[in-house]
Amino acid sequence: MNLKKTIRLKTLLSTLMVSFLTITLLGILAQVSGEHATLGNRLLSLNHNLTQSANAVTSVVTYFRGLDTLGEVTILFLSIFGVGIGINRSEHLHTILHYDNALLKMGARVLFPVIILFGFYIIFHGHLSPGGGFQGGVVIASAFLLMFLAEGDAYALDHKILTLVEAFSGVGFVLLGLLGVLLGGLFLSNPLPLGTLGQLFSGGVLPIIYLFVGLKVAAEITVLIEYFIRTHDARDA
Amino acid sequence: MLEMLNQTPFVHTVVTVGSFVIFGIGLVGVLSKKNLFKIFLSLSLMESALFLFFIGNHYEVGMLAPIAADGITAFDGHMVDPVPQAMILTTIVIGIAVLALALSYVVRYHRLSGHNRIDKMDELGDEQ
Repeated sequence: MNLKKTIRLKTLLSTLMVSFLTITLLGILAQVSGEHATLGNRLLSLNHNLTQSANAVTSVVTYFRGLDTLGEVTILFLSIFGVGIGINRSEHLHTILHYDNALLKMGARVLFPVIILFGFYIIFHGHLSPGGGFQGGVVIASAFLLMFLAEGDAYALDHKILTLVEAFSGVGFVLLGLLGVLLGGLFLSNPLPLGTLGQLFSGGVLPIIYLFVGLKVAAEITVLIEYFIRTHDARDA
Repeated sequence: MLEMLNQTPFVHTVVTVGSFVIFGIGLVGVLSKKNLFKIFLSLSLMESALFLFFIGNHYEVGMLAPIAADGITAFDGHMVDPVPQAMILTTIVIGIAVLALALSYVVRYHRLSGHNRIDKMDELGDEQ
């Protein structure tokens, strides 16, 4: 194999161009002096009185920038909607990644509830330790991925329950925001009792918002995994 | 010797250079690959470089994570800025959503046309 064939000219040119751009951008960045952001320090000093949440990142995500998180969850929903819009229900689908292994099947059945429990643990401790709704939701979805890998076509998801969970958690998030309007005067404000820092029942609405976010993310990522793993094999076409 | 490396400017330099190298690898992939799947994975790689750059440049040596645990009860200036972490959390989720949508379109395009190469797309006819 000669060299001309292995390294194409276009690849070489684009590599050179990208290197040039990268070095230019690095030069621009080197000029920028690190200015200390004061927003984070201000939020940190407010955090103790306003939210009583031990994890400041959680209070930024669900309280100070709660509207942002609502938009983010909406984007995730729209993405899943766009993925599902072209599914042909009458088409025969089968799981393309599936290992027919008795040990894997038994292990998956044992591990499935434990992984779900671990996901809920991460969700419920989102305001106390690293973690939260998004991370816990993805952990719960990984339990379903394990079941797809182990059981294959025999594992059927109940789409009605998934849709219900997704819809109710989305509506619950908005209702919590409206509750904040009614009781606190601001959308997504924190009208519930705050409790003490570091307790499981603390932070007011923050753990409830993260529970809704976690359920929604779990349902949506599960639907996504099912779409990509259960399709008709594109390689046969 | 090792203390010299454990300084905030050095850490920021390493993170900046490293994330830009990853970004460059992703950009080369986007520009030179013909497979739609590889193009979107390269975009995802560029996103990861952005996350690394953003998070790494807001880390300061000696500062704590913004979590009150292990005996720390007060939020003060000894903690790193929580806002970039929260923003990157948002960005990661949006990145997953966009990547999933893009890959589902790739799958559907392959189903309709039988290939997923960007240089063989001729749905618009022969017009240049």
